[in-house]
Amino acid sequence: MVGANNKPEETDQPEVMIEVSVWRGDAEAGGFRTYHVPSRQSQTVLDIVTYIQRNLDPELTYRFACRVGMCGSCGMTVNGKPRWTCRTHASQVISNGKLTIEPLRNMTKVKDLAVDMTPFFDKWVEAKGAFVPTKTRHDEIEAIKPDSKERRAADAAVECINCGVCYSACDVVAWKPDYLGPAAINRSWTLVNDPRDGAQAERLKVLASDAGCSNCHSHQSCATYCPNLLNPTRSIAGVKRRVMVAALKGEV
Amino acid sequence: MIEHLKTDILILGSGGAGLFAALHAKKAAPELDVTIAVKGLLGKCGCTRMVQGGYNVALGKGDSVERHFMDTIEGGKWLPNQDLAWKLCKTAVERVRELENEVGCFFDRNPDGSIHGKAFAGQTFDRTVHKGDLTGIEIINRLMEQVLSRDVNKLEDHRAIGLIPNATGDALAGVLMIDMRTGNFRFVQAKAVLMATGGGPTMYRYHTPSGDKSMDGLAMALRTGLPLRDMEMVQFHPTGLLAGADTRMTGTVLEEGLRGAGGHLLGGDGERFMFNYDERGERATRDIVSRGIYAEMRKGNTTPNGGVYIKMSHLGPADVRKRFNGMVRRCADCGFDLAGGLVEVVPTAHYFMGGVVIDTEARTALPGLFAAGEDAGGVHGANRLGGNGVANSTVYGGIAGDEMAAFVKSEGRFHDPDKGVIGFEIERALKPFSIKPGDVNVLREKLMDVMWEDVGVMRTEETLTRGLRRIDEVEQELMTVGVPAGNKAFNLTWHDWLNLQSLIEISRVIAQAALARRNSRGAHYREDFPDPGAMETSTFTVARQKDGVLTVKEEPVAFTIVKPGQSLLDDETVKTPNALSAVEVNPR
Repeated sequence: MVGANNKPEETDQPEVMIEVSVWRGDAEAGGFRTYHVPSRQSQTVLDIVTYIQRNLDPELTYRFACRVGMCGSCGMTVNGKPRWTCRTHASQVISNGKLTIEPLRNMTKVKDLAVDMTPFFDKWVEAKGAFVPTKTRHDEIEAIKPDSKERRAADAAVECINCGVCYSACDVVAWKPDYLGPAAINRSWTLVNDPRDGAQAERLKVLASDAGCSNCHSHQSCATYCPNLLNPTRSIAGVKRRVMVAALKGEV
Repeated sequence: MIEHLKTDILILGSGGAGLFAALHAKKAAPELDVTIAVKGLLGKCGCTRMVQGGYNVALGKGDSVERHFMDTIEGGKWLPNQDLAWKLCKTAVERVRELENEVGCFFDRNPDGSIHGKAFAGQTFDRTVHKGDLTGIEIINRLMEQVLSRDVNKLEDHRAIGLIPNATGDALAGVLMIDMRTGNFRFVQAKAVLMATGGGPTMYRYHTPSGDKSMDGLAMALRTGLPLRDMEMVQFHPTGLLAGADTRMTGTVLEEGLRGAGGHLLGGDGERFMFNYDERGERATRDIVSRGIYAEMRKGNTTPNGGVYIKMSHLGPADVRKRFNGMVRRCADCGFDLAGGLVEVVPTAHYFMGGVVIDTEARTALPGLFAAGEDAGGVHGANRLGGNGVANSTVYGGIAGDEMAAFVKSEGRFHDPDKGVIGFEIERALKPFSIKPGDVNVLREKLMDVMWEDVGVMRTEETLTRGLRRIDEVEQELMTVGVPAGNKAFNLTWHDWLNLQSLIEISRVIAQAALARRNSRGAHYREDFPDPGAMETSTFTVARQKDGVLTVKEEPVAFTIVKPGQSLLDDETVKTPNALSAVEVNPR
């Protein structure tokens, strides 16, 4: 009943094809394979990957879930840059009819475009990215003014969806695998600014540790590539200031 | 070869229900071994994360659990299980405090620091607690951190394919899974199991839920012979993005606030049409607007891709950009100008009210098996209020966690699995490798067309009967379309095949339940029976499969708390629900 065409206007011209190089392999070995995918008016990088799996190579592996930039599962390296593929229109990234798609960097490869995010989340926990309560479900919710300085700082950083794009873009993570990385410290920063949290001293100690904020050289890759337009570099700078104050007081 | 694992408590799914269950089980019984299995990555699958609106809870001065409950019952057109709905509204108060005080969520505040409740359509009080329009991300991120920082085992990239009872069939022994990364089967034996995989009507051509969802939980429950209720109740959202075929963008939701703010819907002829259907125009309720759009589509008054347009530009593009920043950005990323241009939209399958029959402790009819969230039925009845979905998953997920811990401590034990059922499920899962490879996706699209055309927004006996026949045809075809027998490790095409089989099984139940309900209530609309029927004699459908035969029965609704025509509220405090025009959008 309903037409659902997504093709360019009917013409005598042959279909426009995109030449797509996709990294295929696993943790041990791999390389690029080339596919030709028809161009569509409405087409994201995720759609291109999906087309390949559905029509050209049924064994191609990739991750996705929500399709709308909320779950952070579909991060890949596209033409050398980390991005969400569900929210990247093909026309934004295709150059000379070509496209290269690889798994996110700084993560262990599982298969093809899917990576293991376990170390990324281990660091999230290590950076004390989990709230430590001081109240219970039987207490009233704390009144906190939304325009307080702390809350504004936390709000500016809190909309991270842990997609790993910043982590993948970070040079320091590449050099020093123990580094907690921009996403974990960014989350920690929101808690440093949360008066409800009960582990401030312990958190600052971790942030001041060898794996912590001092590793950041402010290359700004995280801020450049964050698809949510967050600025983890700024959060890390905030953490550095707090750590410094704590150090002067002999607390870390 | 099957790998074996043992755990005290196994949780399927890591949305609001699954994560809450893990936290509660671990708190109630820290000594128990708790395992979460999820089809993708922990906290990243499912739909809780995608919640934009917020969380309904009676916290505000002047609001009450009674009022929230009455709104839920009225919204559900008197079909909800009242005990479930009552417990939802009552427990939501404690659950939101837990989210704030223990889990670390931070919801939007009023200038004085108190919690902000926003207005949401269909409710008589501004009780929807939220974090901007990204409430789900805040809830799931915070829950995920709490679970990750506890001693909870993770089985990521694990897909459940069968609930395995003991040999006598009177208790659950565990769950058969596929470790997707290796492609191996893994039987996880557990004393208690929570099914929280999330429903999600992804068998419709246009749908909003997360793409990993494929009704696996309900299909497993069906094969196990468990009763499923309200299966005809599929909620359509009127404005899904329509970007054409071959793109996963199609169907994703464009928020309701766009209509509330004064957005216009235009047919292919460029004219507004909603006033032909309802005096509130575009601001009518979701079901009415969905039917209005569908009627225009049937008339052929459509856009190039077969839908209608939403237009916001008359409100001032700059203003629209400011008010709907997230939506405008998402559309722009995908190549559409929501603020200044026209965007094609179409009604889209959004939420599934049906599910496994549970009691107020989240127990199913099978001892050892619990269900919560969108996998469970009865809380919402014929329609879900916006803001009650995440309340449902977190409230009942937590309850299930408490109950599973108590169950395991009091009577839980490991049962030996019925090897016959394991063998049957393995054979079923391996079937696609034994037949000639073909195009699974073409069949998936066929099913999506059948459901959209025959079992969709408007139904008749004729379309439903035809739909059932066509669903059978798709199933028969699936048995002739295989997957190349190569590498089973992380083989998405194999999983597409399995997804489709789950979707087919549940599509049939939806169609059959829709055929059984000969009236129109909430989300279910029968053109041949447009009347809602008498509320006093309301029935709900219960579907069950036994020996391969599916039956649907109607059971009377037990009005255990309030009867139609009555209210728990004093006469003078009864109010009219918020119309969409009163809906506050993007208060940030």
